[in-house]
Amino acid sequence: MLGKLLRHEWKAVWKVPTLLIGALMVASVMAGIPFLFPIWESDWIGLPLSAVMLMLLFFAAMIATSFGIVIYLTVRYYKSMYTDEGYLTHTLPVKGRDLLLSKTIVMSVWNLISGIAVFVAMMIFYVIMLFGLTTRTSIFTAEFMDALGELRELLNSPYFEGMWGFLASLGCMMLTGAVGGSLLIMGAINLGQMVRKHRILGAIGAYFGFYSVMQIIVMVIMFPMMLKVVFAANHTDASEMSVFALYTPMYFVISAVYAILAVGLYFLSEYLIRRQLELE
Amino acid sequence: MSELVEVKNLTKVYEKKKTALSQVNLMIPRGKIIGLLGPNGSGKTTLIKLLSGLLVATEGEILINGYKPGPETKSMVSYLPERTYFQNSMRVKELIEYFADFYQDFCPERAKQMLMNLNIDENSRLKTLSKGTKEKVQLIMVMSRDAQLYILDEPIAGVDPAARDYILRTIISNYNENATVLISTHLISDIEKILDEVIFIRDGRVVLQDTVENIRERKGKSVDTYFREVFAC
Repeated sequence: MLGKLLRHEWKAVWKVPTLLIGALMVASVMAGIPFLFPIWESDWIGLPLSAVMLMLLFFAAMIATSFGIVIYLTVRYYKSMYTDEGYLTHTLPVKGRDLLLSKTIVMSVWNLISGIAVFVAMMIFYVIMLFGLTTRTSIFTAEFMDALGELRELLNSPYFEGMWGFLASLGCMMLTGAVGGSLLIMGAINLGQMVRKHRILGAIGAYFGFYSVMQIIVMVIMFPMMLKVVFAANHTDASEMSVFALYTPMYFVISAVYAILAVGLYFLSEYLIRRQLELE
Repeated sequence: MSELVEVKNLTKVYEKKKTALSQVNLMIPRGKIIGLLGPNGSGKTTLIKLLSGLLVATEGEILINGYKPGPETKSMVSYLPERTYFQNSMRVKELIEYFADFYQDFCPERAKQMLMNLNIDENSRLKTLSKGTKEKVQLIMVMSRDAQLYILDEPIAGVDPAARDYILRTIISNYNENATVLISTHLISDIEKILDEVIFIRDGRVVLQDTVENIRERKGKSVDTYFREVFAC
């Protein structure tokens, strides 16, 4: 049944996030286009102003996409579980854990996709911008090539040691963050249902409660590691110190915290759906 | 096992100690059409939601075909709530696929035939349909299952008399004869003719469970008249 639930959940939600991501990609291209033309040389102020407006629109689109997808999926979860639609959801012959798992997987995948989409949109913008600048101004081209050369040197320096491990820890944190973030929202909505008269307020309260607890746990665990970073910075020659080697364990620890919290929130939600369900 | 549903000492207490059902004991046989009758707020919908697995009992036990409410019972129970529960953006044909995917006892051909009889286009989106048509689509989906227990919560409330006749005809002509249909309503005169048994419920307690025939013979009254006497304000 999990496969069927996943298929129908995906089918029910894919359109809105895809539309938002599509709009973001268009905005990234539009923000980059002014760099292909020497609009800053125009006598009319309207042209450079339009370019700035397009860039602002692009930044707004990045924020709207990230938050829009999360808000859309949150509303979708609430509606499908606890409004009229819940009458169908909870009379399907499926286990509560399968229901929860299907929603967690779909929400987490979209969280990841939206993060990747924002990154890709930024890359599109930078590539168009760099292409425009390097083909139009020789000074910029020379400076850009110098910077690339320096970056190549930096990559081979001790400062960049452990970069792959760092990237792995970053990926791990993104993955656990996407799953943990989804379960945080779902857990808060499920727990909010216990406040029978004010379910939405209960869910918002539960979200901030969970979020604060999570932040405190992360802070408590991070504190000794941050001290280690500061200590290392004071006692090591900066040119020999690899920033990645210092941050990698920290990111792995944060990933572990997210993973543990995600598991806890999953079991809490599963219990609430199985034992405390009370549709209005 | 002769009884389809066994309810033992069932109690449901909501927030602030509001008791919706108190120590309810019931045996619901197979192959009957049973009216669950009672005034507003008597506990009918609470009992139905407990049977459908949408609420968790405070005390007591429900067994449907020997199973406690869960995935097994949900595969045997076809439930029509008193509200429309579909996602408005869906098309009617997507609903058919959805039901066919999740309910092994769902018969798509029967659903399509009933939709055709009512001139409802399978390609229509639910948001374009009127409230009445949506309710009919929902009834068609529910009655297109070969379930063991159909639970219909106020299926004829808020619809015109012609639609009531259609709904009752749909129920009678589509339910599996070995199955039981539990209909909750307070429009007794409209459904009396199709009922085999009735359950009267008041203030969260079952006050009567009897056959329609017995009520007519022993009391010399129709169920509607008897209901009015029992629940006179």
